[in-house]
Amino acid sequence: MSANPLLMGHPLASTENARHALLYMCRIRKFEEAVEDLFGRGMMHGTMHLSIGQEASPTGMCMALTIQDQITSTHRGHGHCIAKGADLTRMIAELLGKEIGYCGGRGGSMHIADVETGNLGANGVVGGGIPIAAGAALASKMMKKGTVAVSFFGDGAMNEGAFHEAANLAAIWKLPMILFCENNKYGMSSSTEKAFAIDNLADRGKGYGIPGVNVNGNDVVEVYEAAQIAVDRARKGEGPTLIVAETYRWKGHSRSDKNLYRTKEEIEEWRLLDPIPKFIARAIKQKKLTQEQCDGIQQEATDAIVAAVNEAVKAKAADPAGLLDAVFKKVSA
Amino acid sequence: MSFKYPVVMPKMSMTMETGELLLFHVKVGDQVKSGDVLFEVMTDKIDMEVEAPADGVIETLVGNPGDVIEIGKPVLIMLTETEVMAFDFGGDAAAPVAAAPVAEPVAAPAPVAPIVPAPVAPTPPPVAPVITPPPVAPVAAPIIVNTSVKAVPKARVEAANRGIDLRTVHPTGPDRTITFSDVNSAQLDPAVLKRQAANKALIAKGIEMTRGIAQASFNRRANANFDHAQLISAWAKVLRGRPDLAAHQHIGVSLIIESKYGSALPVFRDPDLINIDQLRALVTTTSDAAKNGKVPIAMLSGGTTTIFDLTSYSMSSATPLLFPNQVTSLTIGYDSESTKNISLTIDLNFCDFYDGALLLDALIASL
Amino acid sequence: MSDRMLTMAEAVREAMSIAFDERPEVFLLGEDVGIYGGAFGVSGDMYHRYGSERVLDTPIAELGIVGAAVGAALSGMRPIVEIQFSDFTAQAMDQIANQAAKIHFMLGGALHVPMVLRTPQGSGTGAAAQHSQNLEPWFASVPGLKVVVPSNPADAKGLLLASIDDPNPVIFLEHKLLYKIPGRDPVPEGAERIPLGVAKVVREGKDLTIVATGIMVNKSYEVCEKLAAEGISITLIDPRTISPLDMQPVYESVEKTGRLMVVQEGPAHAGFINEVIAQMAGSSSFGSLIAPIKRLAGMNIPIPYAPQLEKAAVPQIEDIEAAAREIVKNWR
Repeated sequence: MSANPLLMGHPLASTENARHALLYMCRIRKFEEAVEDLFGRGMMHGTMHLSIGQEASPTGMCMALTIQDQITSTHRGHGHCIAKGADLTRMIAELLGKEIGYCGGRGGSMHIADVETGNLGANGVVGGGIPIAAGAALASKMMKKGTVAVSFFGDGAMNEGAFHEAANLAAIWKLPMILFCENNKYGMSSSTEKAFAIDNLADRGKGYGIPGVNVNGNDVVEVYEAAQIAVDRARKGEGPTLIVAETYRWKGHSRSDKNLYRTKEEIEEWRLLDPIPKFIARAIKQKKLTQEQCDGIQQEATDAIVAAVNEAVKAKAADPAGLLDAVFKKVSA
Repeated sequence: MSFKYPVVMPKMSMTMETGELLLFHVKVGDQVKSGDVLFEVMTDKIDMEVEAPADGVIETLVGNPGDVIEIGKPVLIMLTETEVMAFDFGGDAAAPVAAAPVAEPVAAPAPVAPIVPAPVAPTPPPVAPVITPPPVAPVAAPIIVNTSVKAVPKARVEAANRGIDLRTVHPTGPDRTITFSDVNSAQLDPAVLKRQAANKALIAKGIEMTRGIAQASFNRRANANFDHAQLISAWAKVLRGRPDLAAHQHIGVSLIIESKYGSALPVFRDPDLINIDQLRALVTTTSDAAKNGKVPIAMLSGGTTTIFDLTSYSMSSATPLLFPNQVTSLTIGYDSESTKNISLTIDLNFCDFYDGALLLDALIASL
Repeated sequence: MSDRMLTMAEAVREAMSIAFDERPEVFLLGEDVGIYGGAFGVSGDMYHRYGSERVLDTPIAELGIVGAAVGAALSGMRPIVEIQFSDFTAQAMDQIANQAAKIHFMLGGALHVPMVLRTPQGSGTGAAAQHSQNLEPWFASVPGLKVVVPSNPADAKGLLLASIDDPNPVIFLEHKLLYKIPGRDPVPEGAERIPLGVAKVVREGKDLTIVATGIMVNKSYEVCEKLAAEGISITLIDPRTISPLDMQPVYESVEKTGRLMVVQEGPAHAGFINEVIAQMAGSSSFGSLIAPIKRLAGMNIPIPYAPQLEKAAVPQIEDIEAAAREIVKNWR
């Protein structure tokens, strides 16, 4: 195994791996809670899309990737960014419109990218990142880089033309790509029952001649195992895989969501399927972690988020004087 | 160990700044679970239920139903065993309540006085671009731009430079538009030429023309700490207090400016009604233009009083001249580094010695 | 000085081939660019010379193709995308306007998109409303895109090489009617670049300044030649890149001539050329104008089919000539 901290392998392979899985899920959870808190205090501009409840999917997927592997993400992208290894302070700073933020305050919640961890960026357009990931996979193939590109998207994006065009390109060119759908049941308020005439979204894979697999998106182990198979297949040049991770967002689509389209009972049911305690129980049972270790890891995640917020809050606000600087990349002489 | 957790008025949309507290679903002492509805709020957009962020017990209801509460301000305080994230926003006042652990048993809820320092005041969104007001455009001397005549841009520029009234130019372009060549071949408006000539003659013959008028002059020393704009403005203000002296509807202050083309007498109309900064800019641009022999035509007439400034010649005083149809005139002369001499001449047909003394006193007082 | 009189299709192919030879990360993708040689024959034999690995035939999927180019550009490649007709960029607009154009800015400069999107545009082929548009203002109004409109083979070659070098997304709009005709000037050998954002003064005169884009430069040039024989001398300026736009030569020329006429093929309403008028109106050179600014542009209609209708919909040489004559005669 390389020194790459993200090339972890199976979440239950070792204490180290189990610790990583739990830590990253908790980091995502705490990050989202902090975002909600800061937004509620009026310290954040714009809007935000929280992925609380969905933490196992990005964590499981990214544990099957190397740091060089690339991802594209969505408007609900904080989790993908964290799972791929982004710096928490720079993320919070971006949301607070600070100069040290990932985009210098120009992008905000929906546009965080991190070159160092292969994150090509979140996307404000549903389906926007899927063709881009296909292109990244095309570059990998042409340049023989051996890397894989993962496009995270939601169930809503699967009805966009961009999904279709990119899935087909990836299939016919056998690109090292993974189409990773986080099916959280609702595209804003449209349920998958209303938006699809098929029951199993993974069936769409057949239409492109690629494997389509379903996994429990709230089970980091199951997600990892499916991801590992897809990554192996991609690296061997056998082409893309569609993974559909069944999960659920506890919170509304964005802050101004009154949850009119779903019941409290449904939300409560899914809260009981919280991926974090589920993994803790399993890790303890398989003697990878003790309860004390789990408590410590959760505390560590909380501390990391608090430290990130405290540092980001103090950072210098982004300066409008620099607005024209990055419209175009300077042409080097 | 339990923690005080203020549940605040949440920001629920991009534009929300305040929310109205509709009703509480809980009362003090209630046990709540994470996700239980605590209260309902209304914004311009929506009604919304706010849920308990953690398990705990309701300690205080801070707001009252019907209150409009700023986002970020507490609506109720809960006590919770769950550790909440404590952020440090710097400064004691901003220390979030969530950070303060309370020893058990919990003290009886304090009454009206806020138990907790207010959480962080909502900070303005940091990414909003700073909009600086546009700089005040310098006031240019009014040039005649008669919008009722059509002319190409260069024709207007040329006409303004040469003091040609476009109304007097015969248009040969399409749609009766004045072309550049129309202006180029135009003669100066005879009326304007006559006026300019008369102005020169007036200056040359000022003494003769006013000799026959019964007049008196007064002299006073004033602090030198004023400029032309202030002087013009102050003098107009003083005159406006004596409508009986005015033969005109307006007050027009002529300022004599020497140039290589001779004396120019631009008139500043009702200068006391203009903002002093704008007036100062106008005086500067007009003086500069006058030194180049270019006084806008619109400023060549309408004087009701005249100011001569002799300080640049190091002269201390002179008897100011009265121009025809003017009742007053002022001369400013050099007195010392810090003082100037101000002389006032009045037409005794309109006012007496006493009036003159009062006018000069009022002027010096206002300077 | 070489005397190679190439067509624009040949010049574009030559530029792409030079870039292919210079940089292994350059590749071409698009519908029918491979064995077919491109719908207008621009890629020609490149498929045979460079192979299917670098000249990628794609399915008919403009959004997917441009998106793949964006992703490849983000990941170290320098794609050249050919969209068969500029009209079809509408299918790919999310990737062009929301992704390629904004990524560098939105991500605070962390990533950039060195990509060229080449596409034929313009009327005159009888292909009617969905295959004949001039979409210059669509792209010129999106910050983050550079937009190049070559009017002749020599410029097309140098500008395309510079576009491929450029670290930003460049929209390269080629007029279909120019593909098959040689330019007035020979196309130089070698790999000389023409920098983006520098207008070209095609010819100089003292009576009138004409600013025209794309094929209208050629039409205007003919008018300049003809009127020169009558003693009317005209300065003709080809911006070459409409975003960024180089106005300096326009100001300098109008200060001499006092008269400005702008010509574009696309519809007048909210057209690109209006930007030239707006910048002139706000400049200190405005006071030099001795005539109202004359705009010649397409009618505000979709491009019609029948040849006489199609001709009537966009400015023709006769229209330019009449307008130029009139402005010089009427305004002195």
